[in-house]
Amino acid sequence: MDAQFAIAGKDFAISVADKKVTRSIVTMKHDKDKTYNLTPHTFISVAGEPGDTDNFSEYIQANIRLYSIRNSQDLTPSETANFIRGELANALRSRRPYQVNTLVTGYDKTTGKASLYWIDYLSAMAKVPYAAHGYCSYFVYSTMDREYSPDISLEKGLDIVRKCMASLKQRFLVDFSDYVIKVTDKQGIREIPMSEL
Amino acid sequence: MSIMQYNGSAVVAMTGKNCVAIAADKRLGQRALTVDMGFDKVFPMTNRLYVGLAGLATDVKTLHDRFRMHVNLYKHREERTIAPKTFAHMVSHMLYERRFGPYFVEPVIAGLDDNQQPFICNMDLIGCPNFPNDFVVCGTADENLFGMCESLWEPDLGPEELFETISQALLNAVDRDAMSGWGAIVHILTPDGVITRELKGRMD
Amino acid sequence: MAKICDSIGMVYSGMGPDFRVLVNSARKAAQKYIQTYMEDPPVRILVKELAGIMQEFTQSGGVRPFGVSLLLAGVDERGPNLYQVDPSGSYFPWKATAIGKNMINSKTFLEKRFNGDMELEDAVHTAILTLKEGIEGQMTEESIDIGIINTISAAESGEAKPIFKRLTKTEIKDYLSNIV
Repeated sequence: MDAQFAIAGKDFAISVADKKVTRSIVTMKHDKDKTYNLTPHTFISVAGEPGDTDNFSEYIQANIRLYSIRNSQDLTPSETANFIRGELANALRSRRPYQVNTLVTGYDKTTGKASLYWIDYLSAMAKVPYAAHGYCSYFVYSTMDREYSPDISLEKGLDIVRKCMASLKQRFLVDFSDYVIKVTDKQGIREIPMSEL
Repeated sequence: MSIMQYNGSAVVAMTGKNCVAIAADKRLGQRALTVDMGFDKVFPMTNRLYVGLAGLATDVKTLHDRFRMHVNLYKHREERTIAPKTFAHMVSHMLYERRFGPYFVEPVIAGLDDNQQPFICNMDLIGCPNFPNDFVVCGTADENLFGMCESLWEPDLGPEELFETISQALLNAVDRDAMSGWGAIVHILTPDGVITRELKGRMD
Repeated sequence: MAKICDSIGMVYSGMGPDFRVLVNSARKAAQKYIQTYMEDPPVRILVKELAGIMQEFTQSGGVRPFGVSLLLAGVDERGPNLYQVDPSGSYFPWKATAIGKNMINSKTFLEKRFNGDMELEDAVHTAILTLKEGIEGQMTEESIDIGIINTISAAESGEAKPIFKRLTKTEIKDYLSNIV
């Protein structure tokens, strides 16, 4: 029942993930950060089987950071996304696959462009302007379809996020109320508190 | 619903006179939900050989990567580019290797051989090959495609006529399939080179 | 002399048992190639494979190098090919060559007699003459082997495909009777 979605503009990308950890009908935790910073400009948000998400994300985070240290250079968002897909695809045909849906959000310093990659637990990957995973996609996709254009500003992007949240609040069975909102652009990754949205 | 219908796809290839065409839709979905309208399913292997992959999107990507690797290794090892027929048998072999845990993908292969003669081939997900001399189809719109190709295709079409035929066949087939469509791409392989065109489909 | 696949044959000079091991490996490699690509391997690819195996046996622990030199002959899309492979794993393409006891004299002989546009019949004839130079006593159909790779012979099966064939005793006898 996770909610996560993201939007990529020309030179920025926004990612939103809920903070709930649920098991059956019980909410176990209200303040879980489901995003993981990989490089100063690239991060992922994950949803899926609770143990798998942490385990897989930390494994990816450690390997991407190791790459940065070894080579004194960060992987670009597309390289990062392809690496994650590769790891997930290998795991898919192993004894126990990871059940993790991922959104890779990044800003490429060399090209000055932001990008967003949608990867599902089967390792199907797509480079998209906006994306969502899970049940929340049935609510937010329509909002993003209507509001998005390729040249939106950060302010407009955050406006879409507000509208998506409103639609989830009004129509979705689950009340998420609290989200982690992260933006990446030229200056790097930063979190926008719910109070400032 | 079968895993082959999870992401949705439509791929078709046709022969012409000294030319061959391969086309595919661009949708990536999760069952009825459309996720991406720019998902490639046709990939160049050499400049005379294209492969289209219909089926589960993750395996489309994985197989594309593996094919590319094996074609490049072949090129280095044998100091020649792989012939379409040879490639088809290689694909068949790679799929049958996974007989009891298959990639959920049906490949379509289109190419021009050394004598500029068209070559087309399709396979089921465990690599049983077919070598017809008119057209091959696969994906969630395969039945629609069969109907369209059966009525539109004729022998010895030139590159431009072939483009028109395959485009109409694909667009009209995907319009009656909810799982595929959302734009299409067509490649026409001729002795002088490859013509690639993007088609706008009904985006609803 | 051994047939490796339809289009490739192999002869050796040296230790017979070692040759049989290499024939096994070569046939397996050829079948593996055919299973993958549904066509016979190019000669050069098979030679590389064999040479690779022979090289490994010069470097691995607990084994000794192969006590044979090989000649591989075959026809592929590049045309007729002849390769020599040595125990070290090095290999050479030739137009015509010889290995074994009398190789120096045989090669000198071939240098004089060989030319590029010989017909098959001439080539067999020249090969016999070369062999004769180094043989003591009588040369009979019992004491030599001849293998040919012929493209025409497969014509009746539809596709013209090169076929390696060992000549029969009678065929060899006919060739020998033409030699003074």
